[in-house]
Order: sequence, then C-alpha cells, then structure tokens
Amino acid sequence: MNHVLNIEHLSVSYARKGLALEDIHLQVPKGKIVALLGANGAGKTTMIRAISGLLSLHHGQITQGQIHFDGQLINSVPAHRLVRQGMAQVPEGRLIFKQLSVLDNLLVGAAILPRAQVADRLEAVYHLFPRLLERKTQSAGWLSGGEQQMLALGRALIAKPQLLLVDELSLGLAPLIVEAIYKQLVVVGETLGTSMLIVEQNARIALEFADTAYILDRGRIAFNGTADEVKNSDLIKDSYLGTRQTQGTTS
Amino acid sequence: MLGQVLFSGLALGSIYGLVALGFVVIFKATEVFNFAQGMLVVCGAFFAYTGIMLLGLPFPMTIVFIVLAAAILGAFIHAFLIQPLAGRSMLSIIMVTIALSIVIRAVLEITYGPQGKTLQTPLPTGIFLVGDLRISQLHLTAALVSWSCMAMFGAFFKFTSVGLLMRATADSHEAAVVSGININVMNRLAWAIGSVLAAVGGLFLGQLQLASTELESIGLLALPAVVIGGMQSIPGAIIGGLLVGLIEQLSATYISPKSSDIFIYVLLMLILMVRPWGLFGQQELGRV
Amino acid sequence: MSTSIVPLQKSNLGLKIIQWGTILAILAYVPIILTDRAIFGIRLSNMQLLNLGLTQINLMLIAMLGALSLNFLTGSAGLISIGHAAFYAVGAMTGAVVGTQLGAPFVLVLLAAAITGALVGVLAGLPSLRVRGLYFVLSTMAVHYIVVFVFSEYQYKFFDVVGVPFNEAQIAGFAFSTPIRWYFFLIATVMAVYFGFKHILNTREGRAMMAMRDQELAATSAGIDVRILRLKAFALSSAVASVAGVLYAYYLTNVTAEFFNIQFAIQFIAMIIIGGMGSLGGSLIGAAIWLLLPSIITGFASQAGVTTGIVQRMLVDNKPQLVQLIFGLLVIILLIFAPGGISGLIKQVRLRWAALWGRS
Repeated sequence: MNHVLNIEHLSVSYARKGLALEDIHLQVPKGKIVALLGANGAGKTTMIRAISGLLSLHHGQITQGQIHFDGQLINSVPAHRLVRQGMAQVPEGRLIFKQLSVLDNLLVGAAILPRAQVADRLEAVYHLFPRLLERKTQSAGWLSGGEQQMLALGRALIAKPQLLLVDELSLGLAPLIVEAIYKQLVVVGETLGTSMLIVEQNARIALEFADTAYILDRGRIAFNGTADEVKNSDLIKDSYLGTRQTQGTTS
Repeated sequence: MLGQVLFSGLALGSIYGLVALGFVVIFKATEVFNFAQGMLVVCGAFFAYTGIMLLGLPFPMTIVFIVLAAAILGAFIHAFLIQPLAGRSMLSIIMVTIALSIVIRAVLEITYGPQGKTLQTPLPTGIFLVGDLRISQLHLTAALVSWSCMAMFGAFFKFTSVGLLMRATADSHEAAVVSGININVMNRLAWAIGSVLAAVGGLFLGQLQLASTELESIGLLALPAVVIGGMQSIPGAIIGGLLVGLIEQLSATYISPKSSDIFIYVLLMLILMVRPWGLFGQQELGRV
Repeated sequence: MSTSIVPLQKSNLGLKIIQWGTILAILAYVPIILTDRAIFGIRLSNMQLLNLGLTQINLMLIAMLGALSLNFLTGSAGLISIGHAAFYAVGAMTGAVVGTQLGAPFVLVLLAAAITGALVGVLAGLPSLRVRGLYFVLSTMAVHYIVVFVFSEYQYKFFDVVGVPFNEAQIAGFAFSTPIRWYFFLIATVMAVYFGFKHILNTREGRAMMAMRDQELAATSAGIDVRILRLKAFALSSAVASVAGVLYAYYLTNVTAEFFNIQFAIQFIAMIIIGGMGSLGGSLIGAAIWLLLPSIITGFASQAGVTTGIVQRMLVDNKPQLVQLIFGLLVIILLIFAPGGISGLIKQVRLRWAALWGRS
C-alpha cells in the first residue's frame, strides 16, 4: 500500500456526546493533499483527533475500526509518540505557545531533530514563511492571526513530517493570506513529499489545492472523489457544502 | 544594627526565594498548589542529617545524595499522587498535597524520632566583620548558594532543550501535546526540580536551626511569598521570598520574635484583597 | 446514624420509630457502659471497649461539631478553608473573656461564642468576594495565622504560658461536673447541629448553596446572590466551629495558643474527606475514625504481645505519629480510589444490595 494513512471501518464515540463517526473509510496517498470537508459538527475535528491520538484528552474513544499510519496500526499510540513517528498537526485554533518567542516555538517543533539538522530546517521554515524570520524574537502571542497560523505550520513542518494534519486553517483569516499559505503548503508537498490531510469549512479554497476530497455529513462519509469531481458537481456542493460559491465563513 | 538585620533578612529571603521558586515551577507545570512544599524543605534537612550523620558521607557526596533523594521523592509524588488525580477538582488536589504533608511528617517522626537533630556540616558558621556589621558566614553562604541555584535553573530553563520543552508545557498543555511533548515526563521533571529546590533550602534552614519537622512552618512561608510576588511569575517568587525574609527579620528584631507571622499574613491578606495576582504577576481574566 | 435510604412508604413509619428508638436507647446506654466498664452487669475488658473512655467519646462529639461545620462550608457550599482551628480559637477566646474574665453564665458564653464566631466568619469570608479557589484557601491560611497570633497575645497579656483557664460549665445550677453530664449535653448539641444543617440544606437557600458549589455561573443566572450566600455559609459554619471551640476549652479547662495550629485545622479536613465531603453523616464517621484509630492501634499493640524493633517503635513509642500516618494515607487512598469517602462507599454498597435483592 502506498497510502501514508489508511483508515478502515472507523467509528468514534464520545463519553457524553455519543457516536461521532460511523464506519469511516479514508486514505491519504503518499505525497498527496486530501481535503476533508463538511459542515460544522460533521465530525471533522473528531477525525483529526482520532488519527493524532488526542481522543482520550477529549473523553472520546475508537469503538471500531483501524487506523494505519505508514503501514503501522496506530489506534492506541499516544500522541507524543506519533509525532516522533512523523505525524505532525496544526489543530483548530493554532495552539501556539503564546508566551514563548517565535524562535522558541519553532525550536519546540525541532526538538525531535538531531542537533545538526536544526539550523538548516529553521532556515527552510524561514524561507517558507519569511514573516516568521522578521518576527523571530517576538512573543508569539503578539502575532497576527495569519502569522500565528504560519508559526503553527512552521512548527509542525520543521521536523519534516511524513503526514501533516491541518484543522481549519482558514478560520478567521483573510482570503489572500489563506491562499498564500496554501500555496506554500503545496510547495512543501512537492519539495519534501509531505502528505497532507486538510480539514476545512471553506470548501472552495481547499478544493483549489487538494488532490482528492472527502465529504463528511453527520459522522459518515457522504462522498469521496477527486477534487475536480467535487468542484464541478453543483449537486454535491449544494447538498453537502452549503452553497455553490462557498466563500470564507459557511454555515 | 539595621544593616545587619537587612542583610540577614535578604539572606533568609534568598532561601525562601529558592523554596518559592520550586513551588512556582511545580505550579506552572501542573497547576498544583503544593502544600507539601514545607515538608519537602524538612525532608531536605533530614536528607542532610542522614547523609552526614547516619551514612557518614563526605559533604560533597551528601549534597549529591540530597539532590538525588529529593528528585526521586518529587518524581515519586508526581507519579503516584498527582498524575492519578489529573483533571480532578482543585479541592482534591490541594487535599492530596495536605495529606501528603501529614504522611511525610509522620514518617519522618517515626524514622528519626520527634526531637530535632543538629546538623554538623562543614558549612562555615563564623562571623566576619565589615566595618560595624557582623555578617554571618552561614547566611552569606546560604544566600550565595540560593542565588547560584536560582541562576542555574534559570539558565536550564532558558538555554537547554528540556528547559524549553518545560516552558512550553507550562505555557499550554494542549499545545505541548500537539507538538509531541510527553507531558507526563515534563511534569515529573517539574516536581523533581521543585523538590530539589525545597530540599536545598532545607539543608540551610536545617543548619541554621535544626533538622526538625518544625521547619515546616518556615518552609510554608514560601506560600505567602509566592502569592505576594505573583503566583505564575518566577521573578515574583524570588522577590516575594526576599520581601518575606526582610519582613520577618525586621519585625522579629524591632517588634517581637513572634510578630513576624502576623505582618507577613496581613500583607498576604492585603494583596489578596487588593491585587491578588501579586506584585509582579499579570492580571488574567477568569484566573482569579 | 442513618439518613433516609429508600423513598418513604407508609409502612416505613413504624420502622423508623423503631430505628430511632433503638438508636436513642443505645446512645443513652453507651456512657453507662463506658463508666461502669460493664454491659448489663457483664464486665468488659479494656480491649473489648476499644480502650475508650467517656472522655474520648466526649472529645469526639466536640470534634463532630467541627467536622459538621467544616463539611457544611466546604462540602456543601464549596468553600475550601484551612482556618478551622482559628474559629476554635475564636470560641475559646470569647469563652475566656466572657466566661473567665467577666464571669458570665455558660449559656451566655455559648451565645457570645456563636456570635463572635459568625462575625469573624463574615470577615474571613470577605476575600471570597474578591478571589476564588486557590487564592481563597490562602486567605483562610492568613486568617488562621492572624487569629492565632491574637489569641497568643491575649494569652500572654492576661494569663501566662501555662494557658487560659476556664471555669466549670454549668447551666442554671446544673454543673457539668462529670463526663456523663457532658456526654448528654454534647449528644444533644451534635444532634441539634446535625439536624439543623440537614434542614438548612433542604431549604431553598441551602440548595442554592449546593448549586453554587457545583456550578457557580448557573447559580448566579438563577437569580441567587452568590456572594451573600457565601458569607452566610461562612458565618454559620464559623459560629458552630466557634461553639465547638469554647466547648473544647471548657472541657479541657485550660488551653494554650499551641493547641490551635495548622495541623489541628488539617485534621478536620482529613475527617470530612475520609467521611465523605458533602455528606453530613460522613462527617460523623470521619470524626469517629479520628477518635477510634489510636484506640484500635493500642489494641493491636497489646494483642501482638511482646514486640521489638520497628514494630515496637511504631505501635507504641510513636503511636501518635502512626495515627497521623494512617490518617494521611487513608485520605490519599480515598481521594484516588473513592472520592466519595466512606459514606460514598456505603452508598454504593447499599445500591448494590438493593439491586441484588431486586425491586418489585
């Protein structure tokens, strides 16, 4: 299998909220960008948590199914171990270290790298997001929304992950900045071969950059296909994604 | 006279600052208010006693022994008492540290007997004269060592990789998990460090007085120190410690030995009513 | 003492009367057993009586007042306080001023203690208007040290290092000259306080207090002035603790400032956790365990016969420390494994029992 991520028959349940995902099948092929779309509450964030080992933190658990990362079963691997195995994530809300400097934030991400590689990788991230270089000694809490997003991505990418999970990148950001960031992500995909699973409410912009797309509707996969298939199907867009020209904030 | 009192106030204050620093490290990492910090100070004094008098170790080895024993104790406490209670109510966690202090006190008194023990360390106990002032060498040494420890840990947090990860964990638990940091290990480390700092304070307080469980109330002065300085602020903790030391010595000399408690705790009350986030803390919405 | 387990059905009224009758009869007979050291004429050994004397039972009853009042504050109203020893001191000091120095009758002394306690309680509760949780606990710690300092100054100004003396307690000529007389008075007091708190918790305000403990925002939005409620809870709790303090002082006939240390305050917290927070019955259990532990250990020690080395050190020489050790460990174990305390465990057992027997 050349899928970096292979999810089969996945069902997830929360202690208080009940069933959140039901019988999910999802694959992320190596080096590709996969978009995970759907309305608010469809279960997108739950999916990310299930993959990255954060479910128990939120009182959830996998009740059925298997998640394979790079061929290995990872259902019960703790989150910090997954990072070492090459899975990085940028959660909803970015979750940067507000009181640490930009540089320190990046160094946290670089902690799993061998000493010798840190300087090069730092430079690579600065190259990707020059704004971070400008602000490198500033407290991360003072950055703008877009810059914080770049920082979170930089921290996730600095250790050259095999798989990058991004949850709601566009939330609260201006469309121009979102586009710029996505373009950089594509560059990363091409140069490093990083595979990506992108969760987005803004379907339009995700479809512009993704290779394939899955649509989640109330805990189940309602559709999956190439990004083009989704983009060109008004029916799909109407049924599952709100409106024809989804723009910025949706339902 | 005043100069002397100020000096001993600052010297003792440095020890309190050290203990308070340990307290803040624990608090910033695990958000636990460690009521047992006073007893950890006492443990330090007894570890010193054990090393010197019972095991007959040379002094440098005793220091190593104290640090190791305190670190292991701290890690143990986190692993078996604090981690199992993660996510529980604040009362439960406060209570567990209070109960811990009861248990440690009982174990120490059973093991060593209820009487205090004199420590005989090679630490200098003489006096040297600077003009009119009689400076206690022990006080001076205590202050110097305390400041060195604080500087050492400051450097550790600022310049090492592990220190960075600990700072990150204290900043945001969730972000730390997401970044691949093993939170439990970081927290255990914080408790180990906090205990070591308390134990070093205990070594000096034990030499200044006695190795006895009565030292707990002195160790507990770290709590008002931390609040006065600012709970989440490392410089605040240190300055809080210095302030408490100064108030203690000034009131003990010029008013009465027992009056120091009341000045410190009245100040604590004032701070809580007027500026609860401490002199150097930052007001955070919803925290208080 | 049992609180209701199952919903009341008509046929249970007779059962309740029998239950209560038995309990009261036992309570009335206990002091006689302990004084005569015999039951229905049959002599009992010290061991069988768990090495208990009426004095310890009386001290336990006073401690129950402390535990009940702390539980009301912490378990029901949700305010953590380590200042309980301070309120005992307030009561003792009031007793000394009003009783020993001014020579007022005992009833007046008790009243004065309650009022002073309530006032100091309101003062101590004021920080809760400003800070919450952790910081509030620290404010109670500050209150402790300040009050104890005042007591200490008072002791040394008006009396001496030996302590503050108290007259014999008496009500309308009836002197509490024997432990048995104290016993009946204390039993009545404990029952009054227990049922008093129980009643209060069932009123609208009482339930508001519990709501406040659990979900402060919800309580506020329901139109309850949380701040006043907190102060009321503090006032009531401190009043009872203060009365406990003055009773304690009169019973011992002499107290010093050293009695009222932080360790003493902590004992009460341990009691309510072991018994079960929020459970009034639990406080009684907690205080009982605090009383019984030393006796059980002494019993253990004598059973074990000739002991040497560590065992001897622990069971005999360092018995008070061993008691504290077990006490502390009990709190820790219960906190981790059974947060509802012993009363919580009893409740679980009862539920299992009911399930086992089936419900028709």
